[in-house]
Amino acid sequence: MAAALPDAEIVLSAEHLTKRFGRREAVSDVSFDVRAGEVFGFLGPNGAGKTTTIRMLVGLARPDRGAVRIRGLDLARDFRRAMVHVGCIVEAPDLYRYLTGRENLVHFSRMLDDGATGRIPELARLVALSERLDDRVSTYSLGMRQRLGIAQALLGNPDILILDEPANGLDPAGIREIRELVRHLAEDRGIAVFVSSHLLSEVEQTCDRVAIIHRGRTLATGPVRELVDRVASDRIRVVARPARAAAGILAGFGEAETSAGEDEGSIDARVPRERLPDALRALAAGGVDVFAVERRLASLEEVFLDVTGGETV
Amino acid sequence: MRFSGLVENEILKFTRQRRFRVVVLILVALIGLIVFAQSRSRERFAKKDWHVETQERMARIQNWLRDGRMPASSQRWARFELDRLRYHLDRDIDPEAVSGPLFARGFANAASYLLLPLLAIVFASDVVSAEFAQGTIKLLLTRPVGRARVLASKAAALALAITLTVVFGGLVAYVFGGIAYGYGGWGAPVLAGFRVAGERLDPAAVRVIPLWQDAILAYGLAWFASLCVGAIALLTSVLLRSTAAAMGTMLAALIAGTILPRLASSWESQRFLFVTALPLPDYYSGSPPPIPGLTLGLGAAVLAAWALAALVAAFAVFVRRDVLA
Ligand SMILES: Nc1ncnc2c1ncn2[C@@H]1O[C@H](COP(=O)(O)OP(=O)(O)OP(=O)(O)O)[C@@H](O)[C@H]1O
Ligand SMILES: [Mg+2]
Repeated sequence: MAAALPDAEIVLSAEHLTKRFGRREAVSDVSFDVRAGEVFGFLGPNGAGKTTTIRMLVGLARPDRGAVRIRGLDLARDFRRAMVHVGCIVEAPDLYRYLTGRENLVHFSRMLDDGATGRIPELARLVALSERLDDRVSTYSLGMRQRLGIAQALLGNPDILILDEPANGLDPAGIREIRELVRHLAEDRGIAVFVSSHLLSEVEQTCDRVAIIHRGRTLATGPVRELVDRVASDRIRVVARPARAAAGILAGFGEAETSAGEDEGSIDARVPRERLPDALRALAAGGVDVFAVERRLASLEEVFLDVTGGETV
Repeated sequence: MRFSGLVENEILKFTRQRRFRVVVLILVALIGLIVFAQSRSRERFAKKDWHVETQERMARIQNWLRDGRMPASSQRWARFELDRLRYHLDRDIDPEAVSGPLFARGFANAASYLLLPLLAIVFASDVVSAEFAQGTIKLLLTRPVGRARVLASKAAALALAITLTVVFGGLVAYVFGGIAYGYGGWGAPVLAGFRVAGERLDPAAVRVIPLWQDAILAYGLAWFASLCVGAIALLTSVLLRSTAAAMGTMLAALIAGTILPRLASSWESQRFLFVTALPLPDYYSGSPPPIPGLTLGLGAAVLAAWALAALVAAFAVFVRRDVLA
């Protein structure tokens, strides 16, 4: 997962986006940049404001404050020229169910430049729908509709692809297909991909950078690894014998737990970096054999719990 | 992204939905039924030879005219009647018989009350709301095409569908009427251009035109009225975003329009409601206006004003409003 170059071209930027529904702010002062060739995750629990933000990104809803720039074009003022660069799926891959897949693609290619129709066969192959392209969409599975939605979004050769919870409702195989497609588009075609998700593992596996949104506010933005490291720096895994005794000693320096007993086993512990040498000396002094000490990478789940102050996802 | 491509899209959606076939079926079934019922009830009145009867009537009218005691306005009418009877006699057509063309002409009047506006509503009600219901509005409005252009393409396709419906209705009426009553008779003279002056018909404005011209005028007016209803239904579709709600609202308005003149014909302001102005072909054919003061010109102006206002409002709302479906 090569992180996009930090100086790669910024394709999409949200600047202080704010959206109110009545009195309540659904999205408050959300800002981020998405660069060419990166997969940018937008992570948040249900009702966090992901879809509302995406609606503003693609011009379906007007922000009460803030602006969206696509390749430097102000979306509010230059809608048509800006949207040439965008392909999107908002909320769900809704297409005309009474039309065939091909008719849907032809329909939307008529809203683009003349070359778009010619890309249909190639795109159908890309999303593995060539065989079913002349069947009605109402006969498609959710995964197929999701892929057709992506093909539609790619019709105009966009610079930025915006996908709202593409993994929603898919089985593991379907999720993997979408993930591989997204990585391919970003790495091999240099497209910037913006994906929202409430699945932490999904973002961790797919994205280069991530913004975490909660109750309409972005709590953290940065490379996935960096965010993980931020909370993970004190997490270690020790393999030692006897495990229980080792856990007891380590607990004196922070937290530790193990499920192993008198035998060799692994202990998950949290020991602050500066105290780790002392802890290891204490283990040796206590007659414990240490076989391995490794940094334990936190999952995004832990990152999330950390930045949201322990609220559930 | 030519405009014609957008209109093509909308036509594709029209024709691929079941609604289109249902409308075609309704027209065919309904007109077939009317023709069948009408021809059945006519068979009961078998009468004596119409040639003799027509000649007797012509003789009576000629006598009146020779008398010279007839007022000038009636003389005009009498001469027309003579011409009309002669036309039919020359062509060996019973002047009192219904012909295919006459049936088709009459259908324009009958259908302009309810049927054609209804079909216009069926088409127009879901032009925008269906996109919301299906969620496809989110794709439609995130393509590099302005919202006004999207709605304009929809309005154009709707106008086309309504036009085709009126034309198709007329054709079916002619074909079915022809089966029952024969296809000839487009040239038969008819009176047109009635104008109401005060409480009475103004005879000075009356002209004699062939039936085909009369039919084109009547269908033209029915078409115009249907287009206006379509525009108003388009607005309800934009505002309500639900096909059922939009269709229900428009139906209620239509029904109110057929009831109001009967229940409260003295309430003169109702002539400014679009629903009372719908049967334009009627006003043109010279039947007394259901509401005092409602003339063809005023009726057409009222409809046009409503339609124009509805279009302006529909565009204003459609272009500005957030899409949160
Ligand atoms: N049309 C609307 N009117 C009023 N409130 C709304 C509307 N749409 C969204 N909201 C509110 O705005 C907040 C954010 O909703 P949004 O759909 O953006 O969340 P989300 O992050 O996409 O959630 P999910 O994971 O469930 O899709 C929610 O509290 C929601 O109730
Ligand atoms: Mg959502």
